[in-house]
Amino acid sequence: MDRDSLNWKVAGYAGEGIMTTGLLFSKTASRHGWYIFDYPEYPSLIRGGHNTYQVHAGKNHIHSQKIALNLLVALNRDALEFHRDELDENSLIIYDQEDDNIDIEKYNLPGKSANLPMIRLASEVGGERVMGNNVALGASIFALGLDLGILDQVIADVFAGKKEIINLNQKAAKAGYDYIQKSGVRPLIGVEPLKPTADLAPMTGNEAIALGALAGGLQFYVAYPMTPSSSILHFLAETARMTKIVVKHAEDEISAANMALGASFAGVRSMVATSGGGFCYMVEALGESGVSELPLVIVESMRPGPALGMPTWTAQSDLKFLINASHDEFPRFIFAPGDAQEAFELSKKALVLAETYQVPVILLSDKYLSESRYSLKLPETVFKNNRFGFENNPKPDTNSFYPRYRLTETGVSERSVPGQSGGIHITTSYEHDEYGFTAEDTNARKSQVEKRFKKIESMKQEIPSQFWEEEPQAKLTFISFGSTKGPIRQAREELKRQRVATNMLNLSWLWPFPKDQVKKSVESSKSAVVVEGNYQGQLASLITQETGIVVKNRLNRYDGRPFYPEEIVNYVKNLSI
Amino acid sequence: MLKTYPFNPTWCPGCGNFAIWASLKQGIADTKYPKEKFALFYDVGCSGDMADFNQYYGFHTLHGRALPTAVGAKLANHELKVIVIIGDGGCYGEGGTHFLNLMRGNHDVTLLVHDNHRYSLTTGQMSPTTEKGTKTKSTPEGSIEEALNPIAIAISNHATFIAREFAPDIPRLTQRITQAINHTGFSIIDILQPCPIFNPKQSHEWYRQMLVKLEDENHKPNSREDAWKQSVRIDKLPIGLFFQETKPAYHEQVSELKEGPLVNKSIETIDIGNLIKNFR
Repeated sequence: MDRDSLNWKVAGYAGEGIMTTGLLFSKTASRHGWYIFDYPEYPSLIRGGHNTYQVHAGKNHIHSQKIALNLLVALNRDALEFHRDELDENSLIIYDQEDDNIDIEKYNLPGKSANLPMIRLASEVGGERVMGNNVALGASIFALGLDLGILDQVIADVFAGKKEIINLNQKAAKAGYDYIQKSGVRPLIGVEPLKPTADLAPMTGNEAIALGALAGGLQFYVAYPMTPSSSILHFLAETARMTKIVVKHAEDEISAANMALGASFAGVRSMVATSGGGFCYMVEALGESGVSELPLVIVESMRPGPALGMPTWTAQSDLKFLINASHDEFPRFIFAPGDAQEAFELSKKALVLAETYQVPVILLSDKYLSESRYSLKLPETVFKNNRFGFENNPKPDTNSFYPRYRLTETGVSERSVPGQSGGIHITTSYEHDEYGFTAEDTNARKSQVEKRFKKIESMKQEIPSQFWEEEPQAKLTFISFGSTKGPIRQAREELKRQRVATNMLNLSWLWPFPKDQVKKSVESSKSAVVVEGNYQGQLASLITQETGIVVKNRLNRYDGRPFYPEEIVNYVKNLSI
Repeated sequence: MLKTYPFNPTWCPGCGNFAIWASLKQGIADTKYPKEKFALFYDVGCSGDMADFNQYYGFHTLHGRALPTAVGAKLANHELKVIVIIGDGGCYGEGGTHFLNLMRGNHDVTLLVHDNHRYSLTTGQMSPTTEKGTKTKSTPEGSIEEALNPIAIAISNHATFIAREFAPDIPRLTQRITQAINHTGFSIIDILQPCPIFNPKQSHEWYRQMLVKLEDENHKPNSREDAWKQSVRIDKLPIGLFFQETKPAYHEQVSELKEGPLVNKSIETIDIGNLIKNFR
């Protein structure tokens, strides 16, 4: 085991508190001053089924999960069964021989194993069965050479206000720590403890999206629950008392999107979130946002489909759908943040640009980004917002209506909102004239279509430089979008160690498409490979559509799992370039 | 041809929409509330076409979706008076889920349902309120479904202002509209509306024989049970106020709106420092 990072996993039945256990470990590692990336896997049910949570932590920036485990906490027999391939001769397995009457020899696992009577120790300190997780947590702290005091503080903070629970959890952790110490296990040589810090905040992509939206002046959030987007709803609802935004759980996704448009019409910044299936329901409203020129931010967190698909797993297979969703044409922005930091920035930006251009903005996430935790460092926590596109003193034309859809140089016309005198107009889903009155004559139709598309030129100017890293003499360039950024960055660190020079371009702006930079990047080395989480190579075909370039090398995953850095490294090594 | 604003109505001669339109404008005026503080949400259909004939802030929405759109606007600015102009198809068919849920929430919006028992803008197919057995373009052998009873549903599902009126009686409808707008909470007026083109059978004459005024039946609008009995009558079609009660509206129960309308909340400076702390 190197001294720079550690990889820990807990596995057991769903519904046994594994998510909380994982969070406690992530926070503990983070407060040691380490970067973390954590990644939960769980089936779509409330009890039973196999549930895992892994934390990859290290001294330097950690970009993704990885396969090879330093420590596996096995809470049941399946956990010993399913993770064999992630262990090696240096791994440590902690299991409970008594609870499940386990014969560890039978599993023939590589590495060392240590029996830890989790359930008995938990009950000895007065805790229930689920408290066994904390016994395992305490044992993990010892085995990885971490500071039990920091775990105690994390427990106190996470369960703040629940004195009895804090006390029991801390006792259970101490019992695990002491037991494993006495049993003769020697701490694995882990990362050197850094100076404990409060700077790094372990945060899921969804939490970063929610915070970014708040920073960007979100006022109205409305959603219908759908995995893996629901935690945005939970977070914003939970914090609404502090943030004073209005959060509404609507009766369905159609209602959610239309409520958001109604609120937008009345002048507030609105957002909705869903997954692919729910987004299908919202598509007509997306088109309405396009034709009525009402700002709307839609977060779409992808999971494998079509239809119900695999609710709790990840995919990047909605890209082409999103670019083309709705009948007819209108300008839109589509962003795909690559990590929590970008999720925060782009979510904030989405609200600003939706209002500036009076267009829909889709923020594309996926289960992997939405529910994994990253170490987020925000240099500041106070954000300024301006308002765009409102006419503060609307004056009606001689026909006594306000020309809300006035033809302008930029294609953006200033809005009035209900309540303002002098601003009366119709906002409408029908094709219309400058006042919003239904129009079917060719002049009105053509001029309004052209008005809407005039925005595209300035929208293109907004495209920032996309995430790009290069090395001298690179023979291969990785091209990817969204959350695949992490595994590729992690893989490139290993490739660097092996002296394989590569470049990488990760797109977080998918529409308007950053054509020039993509073209330049693909041509920067002898070969390029598009790495993406879908079967047909949707980004690859988009690149061809937009640049004419055909990228032949493809690394695709469509099994619901994220890319692992190890598989990317292996792919590159087997590629003849 | 020079356009005049707003447009002149494109409804057929004898359409009940003319009377509803007149009652609406007078009903709004009679509230004495400033005109620009009204926001009207128009659904799709002959009724929704009214968007182009009016002079209020309006939003011509998607089919069935005038209901949630209106709720969004009300939550964004609860100082607005929010009215939904919708037909029986949009409200009870395409937007049925929204119809059920708006009344559960007691959202402070007024629904004026132009109920002519047909899809008239699409040339006369059956609607959710079409009587069973009716032959229409989409049901040439007679419709199989029973007619939906919106009044009985509203009474059973927590609506706080439930009325039915007959479009051609303009003075009566006008008063009812003013009353509905002034009601805080969910209000619905199911407005019976002749459609001489696609539903000639339910003519003025037919209605005159069927209608009975609730006040003439000694009905008091304070009991859901009595209201429900009136709503399921088959001998007569009662019009008037079935039921009204005072309960807090949705926006009055949202604690975040206690300090005033959301649209007035400044976003100039946002401090998320306290929220970030909990993540560490």
